[in-house]
Order: sequence, then structure tokens, then C-alpha cells
Amino acid sequence: MDCTEMAERLTDLMEGDLEADVEAIALEHLATCAACETVLSATQDVVSLARNHGRPDLSEDSRSRLWNKVLGDAGLSTQS
Amino acid sequence: MRRTVSSTIERTLLERIETLFTEHIDAVYNVAYRVLWNTDDAEDVAQTTFVKAFLHLDQLKDETKVRAWLLQVAYREAITVIRRRRDVPTDPVDLPAEVSTAKGPEDLAVMSVMAAHISEALMAMDQDERMAVVLRDIEELPMREVAAVLDVGLSAAKMRVHRGRQSLRQKIESLEVL
Repeated sequence: MDCTEMAERLTDLMEGDLEADVEAIALEHLATCAACETVLSATQDVVSLARNHGRPDLSEDSRSRLWNKVLGDAGLSTQS
Repeated sequence: MRRTVSSTIERTLLERIETLFTEHIDAVYNVAYRVLWNTDDAEDVAQTTFVKAFLHLDQLKDETKVRAWLLQVAYREAITVIRRRRDVPTDPVDLPAEVSTAKGPEDLAVMSVMAAHISEALMAMDQDERMAVVLRDIEELPMREVAAVLDVGLSAAKMRVHRGRQSLRQKIESLEVL
């Protein structure tokens, strides 16, 4: 496997979608190619950053206001 | 006129929609916001999404599919908002990345530094690739559900995630975050 093929299969590798024999070849390439290993590691880091910081904040006020709007549109009230 | 929740059936419905709202509002808002980049519009889309969920509760009995259903509705509603803004009847795949008002520096200032970097990088991405990353990597939908939300085939969804991750990595690296 060369670096071009490794780059093309990066997502399949991260998703666990490679056939076992192809995955073994990919891991073998990564073990000997610092450039591809760096790309894989950086991509995993970016995915982790996005997962931890990628949601915009929705304030409690906004959340409460939205919930009341949903109730109103649905014709419901929680007050007895 | 708003009805007061009194009957057992209505209370059950209310509890169900409240549970859906509590569990999924952040994901729904995220998808809407990452398409629209405008808090008011994103909240409107989130509101519409949960009202539709309330009206279709009978279709949401399978807990494993609820999240994808809600995010698909939110995504489609957000695309509809964009179409109204531009008044151009195109397919989502043809929509350009720059679709709406960007957040100003004052908005970015209130986020954490890292969240601001991620947001800035996401904003600069192609919309199709951005939404694939949002759905797969931030909202952690299985790839098949990413494909369903985006209304594309599995291989196309995987390609968008692949390209999106590389684009996001390059943009983050250019910000010298990593």
C-alpha cells in the first residue's frame, strides 16, 4: 500500500470498515510511514476536538423559551 | 386557545415530547445552526422540528431511529429556510457553502477558544462535507443514518465524511490549534 491509497482508505480504517487483510496492510504501512501516521493521528485529534467542542451553546433561557413555544404550537400547557 | 394538559393520554404525550426535547434539542439545534449560522433561525427550525415530532409521535416509537428522524427533519427545514432566503429552488447539494449571515467576532468571543476554532473551521467548509462531519463526528450518528439524513447513498455519505474530516483537519491546522 502506498501513501495515496492509504489516504483514500483513511476513513474506512477509522470506521473499521476495511477487510481484515487490507486493514493489516494499512497498519503495516502506518507503522513504517511517519507522514501517513501523522495524518491519521491529526485526523483522529480533529474528530475528537469536534466531538468535544462542536456543539453550539444553547442557553437555558433559549431552551426554556423554545420548549414553551413548542408547547404553544402543540396546543398544550403544563399548567393545571 | 391553549389546552391544559389534563387527560392521561395528553399527559403521556406531553411526557414523551418533553423527553424527546430534553434528549435531542442540542443535536437538533446543532444541525440547524450549522446550516443556517444564525441563532434565531436555528431556534425557529428547532421549534418546527419538535412540533412536527409531536404531530408524528406515532412514527417515533423506535428509539433507535428517533435521533435520525429528528435530525433529518431539522436538516430539511433548515435547507427550506435557505431556499426561502435565496428564493432559488435548487437541490441541497447545489447550495453554496456561504449561505447566511456569519457570526460576528462578538459572538465568537463568548465561546470557548476551542469551540470558536471549531466553529470557524466548520463555517469555512463546503456545506455538504460540513454536515456529514456534524452528523457523524459531532452527533455520532451511524454512517447509514448520516446517509439517510442527507438523503444520499452510503458511499456518498462516507465520501463526504472522508473529505470533510480532511478539510476540517487542514483548516484547524491552519489555525495552529493542533
